[in-house]
Amino acid sequence: MELYNKSASELSKMLRAKEVSAVEIADSVYKRIENVDDKVGAYLETNYEKAIKMAKKADEMIAEGKGTVMTGIPVAVKDNICVKGYKATCASKMLENFEPPYNAFVTENLIKAGAVITGKVNMDEFAMGSSTENSALKRTANPHDLSRVPGGSSGGSAAAVAAREAIVSLGSDTGGSIRQPASFCGVVGLKPTYSSVSRYGLVAFASSLDQIGPIGKTVADTAALYSVIAGKDSMDSTSLEANFNLSLASGGSLSGVKIGIPKQYFGDGVSAKVKELVMNAAKTLESAGATLVNVDLPGTDYALSAYYIISCAEASSNLSRYDGVKYGYRAENPKSLEELFVRSRSEGFGDEVKRRIMLGTFVLSSGYYDAYYKKAKLFQQKLKEEFKTAFRSCDMLLTPTSPDVAFRIGEIEDPLKMYASDICTVTVNLAGLPAVSVPVEGTKDNMPVGMQFIGKPFADAEILRVAGIYEDLIGGFKTQVKF
Amino acid sequence: MKIDVDHIAKLSKLSFSGEEKLKMERELSSIIEMVEKLPETNVNLNEADASNIMDLREDIVCPSMPRDELLKNAPEVKAGCIVVPKTVEQ
Repeated sequence: MELYNKSASELSKMLRAKEVSAVEIADSVYKRIENVDDKVGAYLETNYEKAIKMAKKADEMIAEGKGTVMTGIPVAVKDNICVKGYKATCASKMLENFEPPYNAFVTENLIKAGAVITGKVNMDEFAMGSSTENSALKRTANPHDLSRVPGGSSGGSAAAVAAREAIVSLGSDTGGSIRQPASFCGVVGLKPTYSSVSRYGLVAFASSLDQIGPIGKTVADTAALYSVIAGKDSMDSTSLEANFNLSLASGGSLSGVKIGIPKQYFGDGVSAKVKELVMNAAKTLESAGATLVNVDLPGTDYALSAYYIISCAEASSNLSRYDGVKYGYRAENPKSLEELFVRSRSEGFGDEVKRRIMLGTFVLSSGYYDAYYKKAKLFQQKLKEEFKTAFRSCDMLLTPTSPDVAFRIGEIEDPLKMYASDICTVTVNLAGLPAVSVPVEGTKDNMPVGMQFIGKPFADAEILRVAGIYEDLIGGFKTQVKF
Repeated sequence: MKIDVDHIAKLSKLSFSGEEKLKMERELSSIIEMVEKLPETNVNLNEADASNIMDLREDIVCPSMPRDELLKNAPEVKAGCIVVPKTVEQ
């Protein structure tokens, strides 16, 4: 088997047993990128020399006995996370030439752990979208069917792992942007508990909802990458010591585990086949010792509204920094400072970003603040309490990740229809909870289907553990791409 | 609901051509129609939890990023300063 096909856990074992070098692994992944990225289009920027340099350092670490779970493992990084020496474009014309002068907290951790950064991957512009079609720089295809979208906004991160162009990757999740593409591409994606990963060096979209997280082919790989990026950082005052213990993220049994099935996530908007496959998975867990309980989360039906109000309000404020002055795109020959601001922003931002800035500005504007923003924040509070109540009768929840499988490129043009594809994921961000999406057994239209385990705050290890047991029960995820 | 696109665009520091403006008006109206479905909620916004205060870092002077490196991303620089169009009338 080619090295690029292996999991991080397998490669890590081989590295420590000196059966392979980190340079050989990086080389294998780079050959794969050269062979398939023309059709997948996951990467915005690669740098073979830099990757090999990191791999050599990893080999030195291993030789000195300083290797960790991620040493020598190739990682692709979403292009809204700062890596010194690479651009951080956010797939926007606005930041097309922006090269961050510093590393994100997660990047520093990857470097310290001896991971090998393969390059920067595509996304929806400023992480706003659910298909990666909003990238101003590149089209990314779903490796399982090149005529379909990879999901979004971390479409490049999920596609790179699914197409074996990286062993694992980092994405970011504001309303489902790690879990939905993971589900569309047949890989595993974790949205960690809010505050367990520092956002320092992540280009801000909606700061109270944004969270960086890992994507992998297996649950164990996803957990391993998470163990390296979690932790408190003095540069992000919302970050907390997550106390994530990797050894608790695997093993054990399902006995005594209560899994809640919230009926609102199995409504009319969700495809019948997706519901059937997720319920089959629930039954698999039940027959292995878990208890299924019905729970009620009535607020779910309104979560999308609250999500778009809160996230766009924060985005309109966060994105006010792009004014053409200090960095980023600047319009040519402006006659005044005002014209410099307006033209740089109007020429630099794409349609979806403008729509969200406009919506956010509207809901925060005088006369409308109480009717929209305040109401949404109150609703968010209620939703958090609903989850708290639900968790009194169960340890975690199980739901579909997305209402359907990956749609075709260009199929959804109406922004509202696109927003509706986030229906199963936004509640998790509004409540700050951890959730992991894994592929279920079986497919629909030959495409992978995902389900997510939603946990209590800081129960990231527990949902990963149960997800890992499911993976073992079905004999591993069978979501190999055809090329 | 009728959205005053000109007003919101002015606040957002964005401009739209005639056709773009009509499209934005249409799309914003339908999005707002969707978000308006949000019900009234009878909860109080949680007051800050005094037992769980945010842990701020010590206020210690430490080196910041080198000026030259920061200015590398600026569109136009002269004598270590960022150049913008004239802002004060003579």
